[in-house]
Amino acid sequence: MVKELERAGLPVVHVCTVTPISMTVGANRIVPAIAIPHPLGNPALDKDEEKKLRRKLVVKALGALQTEVDGQKVFED
Amino acid sequence: MRLEIGKINITDIRFAEESKIEKGILYVNPEDLKPVVLEDEKLVDVVFDIAKPGESVRITPVKDVIEPRVKVEGKGGIFPGVIAKVDTVGSGKTLALKGMAVVTAGRIVGFQEGIIDMTGVGAQYTPFSKTLNLCMVCEPAPDLKQHDYEKAVRMAGFRVATKIGELARGIEPDETCVYETLGIKEGIEKYPDLPRVGYVSMLQTQGLLHDTYVYGVDAKKIIPTIISPTEAMDGAIVSGNCVSACDKNPTYIHQNNPVIEDLFAQHGKTLNFVCQIITNENVYLADKERSSNMTAKLCRMLDLDGVIVTQEGFGNPDTDLIMNCKKIEAEGVKTVIVTDEYAGRDGKSQSLADADAAADAVVTGGNANEVVILPKLDKVIGMMDYVNKIAGASEDTLREDGTLEVELQVITGATNEMGFGLLSAR
Repeated sequence: MVKELERAGLPVVHVCTVTPISMTVGANRIVPAIAIPHPLGNPALDKDEEKKLRRKLVVKALGALQTEVDGQKVFED
Repeated sequence: MRLEIGKINITDIRFAEESKIEKGILYVNPEDLKPVVLEDEKLVDVVFDIAKPGESVRITPVKDVIEPRVKVEGKGGIFPGVIAKVDTVGSGKTLALKGMAVVTAGRIVGFQEGIIDMTGVGAQYTPFSKTLNLCMVCEPAPDLKQHDYEKAVRMAGFRVATKIGELARGIEPDETCVYETLGIKEGIEKYPDLPRVGYVSMLQTQGLLHDTYVYGVDAKKIIPTIISPTEAMDGAIVSGNCVSACDKNPTYIHQNNPVIEDLFAQHGKTLNFVCQIITNENVYLADKERSSNMTAKLCRMLDLDGVIVTQEGFGNPDTDLIMNCKKIEAEGVKTVIVTDEYAGRDGKSQSLADADAAADAVVTGGNANEVVILPKLDKVIGMMDYVNKIAGASEDTLREDGTLEVELQVITGATNEMGFGLLSAR
């Protein structure tokens, strides 16, 4: 999916937990997610904390989308 | 550590008044076993049944398969930290009932439980079509949560297997095998010219009904460690898994791990079998990194020349597998990895979710997506209610004529990643 969308000319951010697989399959902008059963949130946190976490992840992904990359890059904290 | 396994060959299982083993026949009174199951109030009923090789019988949904054993000499008891106290096991003498298994079944817990066919095409794929199976179909209390149900059935299986194993106490085994590993220094002195080989076993620990326990500890919480390969033979590692049936490691396979068996067969001849390293397959990337780092470090610290790495399950654990392989190789230790494939029904898709050039020696248990048609069988132990729902099935699985169209994924042990399965390219 990531590669096909990029081939069509759209920049793509792959938000995923297991970033090495994303590297293997060839994504260029990779944002690490939380965990495999809950990539975009964390049910262990209370509601307010989780909202912050989720927002941070989305903002980071949007930031990555606007960043020029030269090859594959994992956007660590 | 030195462990003797006394093998008692079981040639038949029969229901009888008195539970006992006589001349290789296991007699069981289900009324003796029922209280053992129902002592947990989370289970409200259990039905025992016997499935024999060649019979027109299907067992489903299968949860775990267990070999009854009893410890007769040495420290501890079978299933330490789970049934017996937490003494370190793996030395002394253990009796095992060969040719039979306890199979736990019942209404589905998750969606990844299996099928064991005792005859027909399915029987050719599951190693448990060859065992006499004492099946226990458990009925959970109403409104029991899934994880409580999983635990209740898991524990009931171990209690029943332990009770059956106790019947072997005092019986003369038909055959005795001795397994012994040496201390580090001792091993180097005794086998100075043999390559030092270890066995890295990856335990399924993704949580949410995908778990393995070591001496009663949830293995997702361990840092990789070393154990004597004989400890697993005494039930130090048990399954709590509802992962796809074809490539989960039921407790039986931990007790009878073919990689350990084969390494022992070569021990002192072509290699020095140093130890088993256990590691996990967690769902956080940091855990995957930490565990594979530690595993590679242990291989280096033990001065191993080579390791065999086995996986459990598929998908993201493929990354744990590749991380282990890559990092261990980077320490100068050769690896062979054992896995299975999800290459699509036509076998043309990528087999593993991850890959690396360091993984240049790979053994496969087969393609779990391969489709087979299972015949309609005369009798079902358990229930057919879930055959369209388990992983590897679809809404079209149960066909009008009663046959089942399924992927190998649904068959317990079909593509086992410890090499316990029956598939071969030869």
